[in-house]
Amino acid sequence: MSLLEVADITVGVKHNPQTLLREVGLTVEPGEIMGLVGESGSGKTMSSLAIMGLLPAGIEMRKGNVTLEGRDLVDPETGEVSRTASEMTMIFQHPRDALNPTMRVGRQIARVLEINQDLPRSEARNTAVDTLRHVGIPGAARVARAYPHQLSGGMCQRVMIAMALACKPRILIADEPTTALDVTIQAQIFDLIKDLVAETGCGVLFITHDLGAIAEMCDRVTVMYGGQVMETGTLREVFTNPQHPYTKYLFDSVEREVDPRVVEEDVNFALMGCRFGHRCPSAFEACGEFPPLYEVAEAHRSSCFLHRKEESIGAP
Amino acid sequence: MALLEVRDLHKTFGHGHNAVPAVRGVDLTIDHGETLGLVGESGCGKTTLGRVVVGLQEATGGEIIFDGEPLDGRLARAEYRRRVQMVFQHPAQSLNRRMKIVTTLSEPLRLLKVADPDEIDARIDEVLQLVGLGPIYRPRRPRQLSGGQQQRVAIARALMPNPDLVVLDEPTSSLDQSVRGRIIALLRSIQRERDVAYLFISHDLSTVRRIADRVAVMYLGRIVEMAPTEEIFEDPQHPYTKALLSAVPTMDLDHRAQRIILEGETPSPTDLPTGCSFQDRCSLVHDRCRVEQPLLESLPDGRMAECFAVTA
Repeated sequence: MSLLEVADITVGVKHNPQTLLREVGLTVEPGEIMGLVGESGSGKTMSSLAIMGLLPAGIEMRKGNVTLEGRDLVDPETGEVSRTASEMTMIFQHPRDALNPTMRVGRQIARVLEINQDLPRSEARNTAVDTLRHVGIPGAARVARAYPHQLSGGMCQRVMIAMALACKPRILIADEPTTALDVTIQAQIFDLIKDLVAETGCGVLFITHDLGAIAEMCDRVTVMYGGQVMETGTLREVFTNPQHPYTKYLFDSVEREVDPRVVEEDVNFALMGCRFGHRCPSAFEACGEFPPLYEVAEAHRSSCFLHRKEESIGAP
Repeated sequence: MALLEVRDLHKTFGHGHNAVPAVRGVDLTIDHGETLGLVGESGCGKTTLGRVVVGLQEATGGEIIFDGEPLDGRLARAEYRRRVQMVFQHPAQSLNRRMKIVTTLSEPLRLLKVADPDEIDARIDEVLQLVGLGPIYRPRRPRQLSGGQQQRVAIARALMPNPDLVVLDEPTSSLDQSVRGRIIALLRSIQRERDVAYLFISHDLSTVRRIADRVAVMYLGRIVEMAPTEEIFEDPQHPYTKALLSAVPTMDLDHRAQRIILEGETPSPTDLPTGCSFQDRCSLVHDRCRVEQPLLESLPDGRMAECFAVTA
């Protein structure tokens, strides 16, 4: 049994038959960093919001299971996920936007502790300063009295991480946590997240569009495109032996010489079949249907009809 | 003769105690048809330098020499405005969302008093072709285009007056990986066809590596190292360049470079230390760095670095 198990999450806009996420599934083990990678519009952020039960108004979860340590988190009445801060927390891409601009950062962390752990106010304040010190903030007591606008982006992200960790969650979801930061600060934040995982044994779902960041941070990786999982496996398997045509395309796009005159196309969410089908160099008739995940190697699965036994013989 | 020469350029915002020196004495040159990559972290002054070069901001000191002529009199200015163009980071914000693409593209020529509508028309078709968008895009508006297509329009607009130099400020930072690759390839093919020079400003080192002929690394308003692209990436000299390059995550699973983690954060430009501005984060710091500002000096192999430990 995995720490976090997500299966068959299907999400769409209310009163609209199109699906934004189609049968998305993944697992996270304790002490593991699972990478979720894809381009913008691939559904990686939408997946994390669905897992957290934070889907925006007008978006509904149509199907799906989210279980944490074997316990079902999906509310049978609303169909949405309900969880506590000690189960799952999330950090966001723009830390300064995620913090309350009118409240001192120490107070914001203390509030989390008061509400979720029933700590009295004075104890919550002290714990908040300890947590700030823990995420490597020099002069934690002074920073606790600062407002978000007085801190740099890297500091704000440390504050967010401190707040996320204050309740000692089992799962941390990090949605592009360093995209807004400079590379030298990004390196500091990466080290911090890795240290905290090693120390607390929590599982991390690490969302990014940066393949280098995945290689640096993750144990396993899930590749998404157009709201569906394309490929999933251990970091080494997926990076050295990519099976799905989209994964290969994504890896190539880093180095490949492309024809600059060809203009990129958007994802077509109305497609019934594979959403990469119309861009895929290996597409054939079967791609008009939605492909399941095929086991291509140990702990390595890919969602493409090329892996179906009879096709795989003559496949390119 | 270089196309653009910048000598001891300064740009300070504000006065007195609140003065923020964003650019503190920059020297650089760009040749015809060359790409100079300008890299650095947020707040290092790279965007300000680009804006001063284009003329969107007035320098507070130093000289800009374009094609051998110093930029002073008004006539020189008008010609300069045609020959130096800019592309911004966020295409959606830099395009007028109420204008059709055709209007956006014709505006630069109308401002430059090109009156012949046929000439403007022909030029629009030519430039759209050049950026990979056909004439079907002429009547569209920005919101009907994807981010990559919008950036193509912004590049097309910059090319309309047939410039000699285009300053590109983070042109691919808001785009996806696969779209980014195409825009870089597009810029290179335009350069081959038109012999246009680029000042390519970016914090994204891997993108700069793919497009630049030479790279200048900026830290707190000064260029700390400048060299041909491969030399910078293969064998960086300045301790800041080394740390910056080592911090970039790579996809290579087997050759993990040893990361140099910089302690702390970039000091505030309003409160710079005496001497080298990198001293508090530098592993090679010694007494001289705390009292004297090092200058960008040539190394024996022709590269340039601003560090006593490297040039000594």
